[in-house]
Amino acid sequence: MKIPLEWLGEYVDLSGLSSQEIAERLTFSGLEVEGIETVGCQAEGIVVGEVLEVRPHPAADRLRVAIVNGGGGTPLTVVCGASNVRPGLKAPLAPVGARLANGVRIQAATLRGVRSEGMLCAEDELGISSDHTGLMELPAEARPGEPLDRIVGSADTVLSAEITPNRPDCLSLIGIARELGVLFERPLRVPDPVLISRGERAVERLKVVLEDWNGCPRYTARLLAGVRVAPSPAWMRRRLERAGVRAICNVVDVTNYVMLECGQPLHAFDLRRLKGGCLRVRRAQEGETLQTLDGVIRRLTPGILVIADAERPVALAGIMGGEESGVLSDTAEVVLESAYFQPALIRKTSKALGLSSESSYRFERGADPEGVEWASRRAAALLGEFAGAEATPDFWDLYPAPVSRRRVSMRWERARTLLGTDPGADRIVRYFEGLGLRILARDAQRVETEIPSWRVDLEREADLIEEAARLYGLDKIPAAEPFARLVPGADDRPVRARLEVNRRLAALGLTEIMNYSFTSDRLLDLMDPTDRDRRARLPNPLSAEHAVLRPSLLPQMIETLGRNRSRQCEEAAFFETGRVFYRTADGGWAESERVAIGLMERPGLGSIDEESCFRRLKGVLERLCAALRMPPLEKGGVRLPPLELEMADWPWAEAGLSVSVRMGGRLAGRAGLVRSAIRREWRITDPVAVAELEMDALTPHLFRVPVYRPVSVHPSVDRDVAFIVDESVCHSDVIRVMLEQAPSELRRIRLFDIYRDSALIRAGRKSMAYRLTYQSEKKTLTDEEANTYHGYIKAGLTRVLRAEIRE
Amino acid sequence: MEPADLSALQEQALEELDRARTLAELEAVRVKYLGRKGLLPAIMEKLGDLPPAERPIVGRSANAFKENFAQRLNVCREQLERNRGGVVPKRAWDPTLPGLWRGMGVRHPIAQIMEETIQIFDRLGFTIADGPDLETEWHNFDALNTPADHPSRDTQDTFWLTDTLLLRTQTSPVQIRVMESRPPPVRIIAPGRCYRRDTTDATHSANFHQIEGLYVDRNVSLADLKGDLTYFARALMGSEVKVRFRPHFFPFTEPSVEYDFSCHVCGGKGCRVCKNSGWIEISGAGMVDPKVFHNVGYDPEQWTGYAFGMGVERLAMIKFGIDDIRLLYDNDARFLEQFA
Ligand SMILES: [Zn+2]
Repeated sequence: MKIPLEWLGEYVDLSGLSSQEIAERLTFSGLEVEGIETVGCQAEGIVVGEVLEVRPHPAADRLRVAIVNGGGGTPLTVVCGASNVRPGLKAPLAPVGARLANGVRIQAATLRGVRSEGMLCAEDELGISSDHTGLMELPAEARPGEPLDRIVGSADTVLSAEITPNRPDCLSLIGIARELGVLFERPLRVPDPVLISRGERAVERLKVVLEDWNGCPRYTARLLAGVRVAPSPAWMRRRLERAGVRAICNVVDVTNYVMLECGQPLHAFDLRRLKGGCLRVRRAQEGETLQTLDGVIRRLTPGILVIADAERPVALAGIMGGEESGVLSDTAEVVLESAYFQPALIRKTSKALGLSSESSYRFERGADPEGVEWASRRAAALLGEFAGAEATPDFWDLYPAPVSRRRVSMRWERARTLLGTDPGADRIVRYFEGLGLRILARDAQRVETEIPSWRVDLEREADLIEEAARLYGLDKIPAAEPFARLVPGADDRPVRARLEVNRRLAALGLTEIMNYSFTSDRLLDLMDPTDRDRRARLPNPLSAEHAVLRPSLLPQMIETLGRNRSRQCEEAAFFETGRVFYRTADGGWAESERVAIGLMERPGLGSIDEESCFRRLKGVLERLCAALRMPPLEKGGVRLPPLELEMADWPWAEAGLSVSVRMGGRLAGRAGLVRSAIRREWRITDPVAVAELEMDALTPHLFRVPVYRPVSVHPSVDRDVAFIVDESVCHSDVIRVMLEQAPSELRRIRLFDIYRDSALIRAGRKSMAYRLTYQSEKKTLTDEEANTYHGYIKAGLTRVLRAEIRE
Repeated sequence: MEPADLSALQEQALEELDRARTLAELEAVRVKYLGRKGLLPAIMEKLGDLPPAERPIVGRSANAFKENFAQRLNVCREQLERNRGGVVPKRAWDPTLPGLWRGMGVRHPIAQIMEETIQIFDRLGFTIADGPDLETEWHNFDALNTPADHPSRDTQDTFWLTDTLLLRTQTSPVQIRVMESRPPPVRIIAPGRCYRRDTTDATHSANFHQIEGLYVDRNVSLADLKGDLTYFARALMGSEVKVRFRPHFFPFTEPSVEYDFSCHVCGGKGCRVCKNSGWIEISGAGMVDPKVFHNVGYDPEQWTGYAFGMGVERLAMIKFGIDDIRLLYDNDARFLEQFA
């Protein structure tokens, strides 16, 4: 909403208030002022100049010498460089002594040998705009010597305010003036238009039928005769333009002027163009069309409220008039509509047609049903003054069920409780009265008010408390000392557990990333084209790149690694925690929370093999088990990470290099090395290992309390064993055999070497070396005891795995 | 013997000390220069042969020699003794080589703001609550007193999945879920991801994060809201930060306010971060609307409460000086590592 302060001053005295002060008070009472703009001529002493003659400058090609009639007796000589200077042009003239917008005072000067007695101005020099393309061109009827202010208006300030949807009453200057009146304790001045009416009665010339009371609770129509369509007076045009409305002609301008003044949209029909001299407020019928004032022919559907004449729709009720019934340059009899339409209906129609206007904007938020008559009278009076219109003594006012004013009361104690402070009852009553509320009753407990018809937002006690708060000033509400308040029984451990998982992943050395919840079919197809049917596609996506809710965190994890690689990032260890989405078998939508881990190795030919890359990922998972307090697997005296991997075949993983992951004894997710065909998309030539885990599988043990077990005071003994076995023998086979043979004194098994390339080892076999740690709780083990235990294990390896022990 | 000769001799002696690779070699150097039959005692002996005028000069030089030598000898001995058992390493130890420990996980800046916010409200006794991203129309709009034809429900703004299911547009539905599930008092903070059909640009993102706060009890007031938000602002942004309220309009609070923090960069004097206003707009808040209480079965006569929301991306951008929201979802390692 644009608010020209000069115009606003009609309704409330603004003298002595700076525009900053006004803007600030409005902002802090709920009408946020977003801009303060200065408009109009900022220069002083500028008059209209008429160029009589243009001569070349004797010494400068780009300058010319103009002889200008500045309204004084003798024409002035003015040196000018603008290209549009020509005889007959009327342009702003700054004579000697005038002051430009930038503060420069004009003096007589000699320019390249020619005496110049003033300056012809462009708009920027006057502060009217930033235009400097040429001299400002004034209308032909401007009189030489006339002060420029009379034509472009004197300097003014225009505020632009954001009006929240609950305050349609402030979509008007009177509404804003009312607010300022309360804030600055100044009276509101509302004009009281008086009509001098003559001529025949409206009912004899015009028939109005209100068929839809619901859609249009009140409809008024006034007949104005003797209208002469012409431009509006300059001051009115200027005010409209400063408020952001284009001036058209006096009839249209007056309807807009009154709408901006009081918030009531008006519409003018040419009586001559209404078939049957008749207006009907009804719903549109199937197949009807209407060409609206914007030139578009619109197909109407039943349900749309229209104003029709005897034959066809002539206006979209509350939204826009029709091309074929509006005011023309020779219109003599005007039907002035002022009505109240149902907000929801206007909103629905405006949305359905994709058409909104200053009028629909106000109606859909809620106009003032009681202000309808005043607006009509005000417009008629202005048309009488500026268009020669004569009003009929009567007018149509169809208002079958007048709205009754709400009564709302407020308890003082409740206001104090909610605000945490007490503005004082007298003060609050003053605010209410200033806003137009009628005080019906007041005692020590409460105040009962009647809400004016323009305040659609005031319905309940809380609304009145808000009025008191915003006018009193929220800055006067004290900040209470914060205190801790513990609410018993609120268990947030499930949420905390999920946050804790993130902390521990970071503690393991992984960096957190965050991707959009949206992704594309293209990326998903690259990973796994087989799950297309189960994807959670958005019915109204923003773009193809953001068309699907992610079914997995892995595609974007791999994409993120790839994007970093393409930016020359060498290695990365990332994790992301987020929700994934999928369609259920019965067509429903579901979500769950997951964790993704991605490792990208440093590039370089053969610098890291696939096995090491995968083992690094496995190391993260093993440490994660411990970090999440999952109980270790206890085999005799040996504790192993509760991590079990089983071969799997994920579509995105390299064949034979993908596993499903069990953690803490339950299925947690999947892991593997990304297929090279996928990596190639981002030119990653080295292995990339990723895992995706269900959040719920990670949290069950997080709050397990570790119970202390005494640490043996007796020293441990290490024994190594190295042996050659077939390639088919896995580390887990070795562990299994060792544990089968192990005494309870075996504490730890560490693989420290795998070796293949040697003349001593046949193809298809490998050498493995382990260090085993023995320790007793009860005594210090002797060498002999350790050797005996170790001997059992060696024997077992030989017997079960056909291992060749290397001594 | 000239003093100049003496200084050349000192230089030679110190160099030999440095070159010694074992304690034994070091001892040999010591004996060579300071031993009973060493070079320095020999010079001292001949002091008497000099003209009386030169004697004190050479004497002083000889004493300086002795002192410097002893000092360097100590340094070299210590160094050699530090090497295990006096064994000389093949290469000299270079402590300036880069470290080998690599693991350093960094939390995402959005997560950092969330964690910090949770911790601050934790101190005030707020517990954490949570809700789904796939939310019902009831929880996201109806129960929050948003009228059926409110623009925010528009398909232009909201990702609707079915007629009644949507991607939540705010974390406020968590308020409803919590109040539906337990009786007052309630004191919760709810971080989460939200969705709006905004085309992505420097300040908009179609998914973003919010933190919702809700406090319901007997006699909760706007003054409490102001106090708690001020406490939060200071804990997050700095101890001088002030909080300012401007009246606003939200369907689920009455009175509704927008709140600003005074600029933590310039202290309110005006700078680039606050666009010279001295204030930074944060988000909306207010007193829970009686209709919302009614919708969850709380008695608005008995209970009052405040609610606030805040945009996590916005807080992160303000706090860390990030000027483009897209950087937060780009996951460039060089960006992320700055928040270690
Ligand atoms: Zn600042």
